[in-house]
Amino acid sequence: MQTSDSEYLTVALPKGKLFGLSADLFQKIGYTAEGLSDKSRKLIITNEEKKIRFIVSKTADVPTYVEYGAADIGVIGKDVLMESQKDVYELLDLGFGKCHLMMAVHRPDKRPTLMDYAHTRVATKFPHIAEQFFNEHGMQMEYIKLNGSIELGPIVGLSESIVDIVETGTTLRENDLEEIAYIMDATARLIANRVSFKLKFDRIHQMVEDLRQVLESEEQ
Amino acid sequence: MGNEKQVLEIPYGTRDYLPGEATGKRAIETQLARLFALWGYDEVVTPTIEYLDTLTMDSGRGLSPQLFKLFDKGGRTLALRHEMTTPIARVVGSRLKDAPLPLKLSYISSVFRSEQSQMGRQCEFYQAGVELIGSASAAADAEVLALSIQSLLRSGLKKFQVCLGQVEFAAGIMEQYRISEDDQQTLKDALEQHDLVAYDAAIDELPLAAAAKKNLRQLPVLSGGEEVLTKAYGLALGEKSRRALDNLSAVYRLLAAYGVERFVRFDLGLIRDFSYYTGMVFEVYTAGLGFPLAGGGRYDHMLSDFGCACPATGFALGIERVLLALERQGIGAPAQAKDVFVAYAAGKEAEAVNRASSLRSEGKVAELALMPMTKEDAAAAQREKGYAALVYLG
Repeated sequence: MQTSDSEYLTVALPKGKLFGLSADLFQKIGYTAEGLSDKSRKLIITNEEKKIRFIVSKTADVPTYVEYGAADIGVIGKDVLMESQKDVYELLDLGFGKCHLMMAVHRPDKRPTLMDYAHTRVATKFPHIAEQFFNEHGMQMEYIKLNGSIELGPIVGLSESIVDIVETGTTLRENDLEEIAYIMDATARLIANRVSFKLKFDRIHQMVEDLRQVLESEEQ
Repeated sequence: MGNEKQVLEIPYGTRDYLPGEATGKRAIETQLARLFALWGYDEVVTPTIEYLDTLTMDSGRGLSPQLFKLFDKGGRTLALRHEMTTPIARVVGSRLKDAPLPLKLSYISSVFRSEQSQMGRQCEFYQAGVELIGSASAAADAEVLALSIQSLLRSGLKKFQVCLGQVEFAAGIMEQYRISEDDQQTLKDALEQHDLVAYDAAIDELPLAAAAKKNLRQLPVLSGGEEVLTKAYGLALGEKSRRALDNLSAVYRLLAAYGVERFVRFDLGLIRDFSYYTGMVFEVYTAGLGFPLAGGGRYDHMLSDFGCACPATGFALGIERVLLALERQGIGAPAQAKDVFVAYAAGKEAEAVNRASSLRSEGKVAELALMPMTKEDAAAAQREKGYAALVYLG
């Protein structure tokens, strides 16, 4: 299968913490498939009756599958979506997976102001978002792209600061790091391919309305 | 050894078209060139490099990072053209400024963008399109749309969908609620970036009645057949958005006369670019390709940047994307038939040359062997080269 079939709706879900929440939400509007799990060895899980197909992929790859139209729609955190700079439709804020992006430094070496960090090294999984943030503050930085355990950066002297997502702040405290600048909030988003949103408009639009209704009723 | 490897590389975002691939590309280009000429469009060829200032004339579009740039001997910045509309506007504003309007111009050219390659779009890619300059009428919009549909049909595609919108409709709706310029910009940016979450969030913040907010929220999802126009008239309270809808219905009636209205769906959330387009806009999609095949619209302000204030409308299609769609839909690009391989025994050279010449004058593709050979070798060569028939002069 190179691209999504016109008869089926292909949904890309990210492995990890957003998976279960997304799968539950889709189930509430009647979209599910037998054996849908991020532990499944099957990469594509199909529900023939509902003409829906789920792809379970690595988080950072979801925007790519959707941009290329290999998946019609997908669920992804706003942080990953923004970092990917992909041209996709962002249809709905799903509300879950709430976290925020921020800059943190090692508490013992904390400098008085944000500006004191100009021309220093920042370790991050989000170099594009970080660069945009520092540019807006007129700061030139040296970006070090890491793929995990960002908190380690300042502790071992790899960088002076980090830009990363925070949910509860526990990891920061445990590693003696302190948030010194807030960057943006992020929640899970429903995204769609540019062409799929047009060619399968009625089906996707209906799905968005159904999801919106479920989310609104849960809010109350 | 390392050096040798480097010599064989090609730069990021470029490609070679090998025999077969190049044939398919050329076949489509030939069809399109013929079609554009049949509709009365004259081809223009402009330089691959232009002054950076020319290409970024209608500035504020943040184009510059996309362009390949270089310097001339005097230190002025040059850039490779990133599309054909701006160079054509420059030609119209300078050397064609006294030509009688409307002008109908066409092009088939390579263009260059230094962004990351996408599906069916390398950094160097090929576009075919037309510009219709000097008419603000719905007839001009309809002609450009009908010609874009005919172009895809002529290329061999059978199933595709044109989404047709009008940027003045959305702009008019925003004006009718007296939304401040800054807030309008926020809403427009969100629509251009396809970010409906940011669009809805920005509407929530506006000091408007609930009914007005509800109407604004509908903008990006006003999509469907003719019934959408009726619904849209219900939302349009101002002159501007009503005129936009009048334009669309006039275009649609004409498309019916062209017999191509079945390919068209209204989509009033389709914007492309607010600062560039001033009227109808459209994109063409097909199943199995995650990116638009073609797009276009009306751009009435752009030519005034080149000292020729006149309305214009046009479209461009991506030749590689059409080729990719043909391949994915199992249609395949038109291939060049290989008809006859002409081989000969020693002493029959002159006869063979004559034979090949007469076959070619009949319109047959004929390849002549370069040296005498046995009949067996000739048959093997014919098979290897893929010719349908063998003529052997023994």
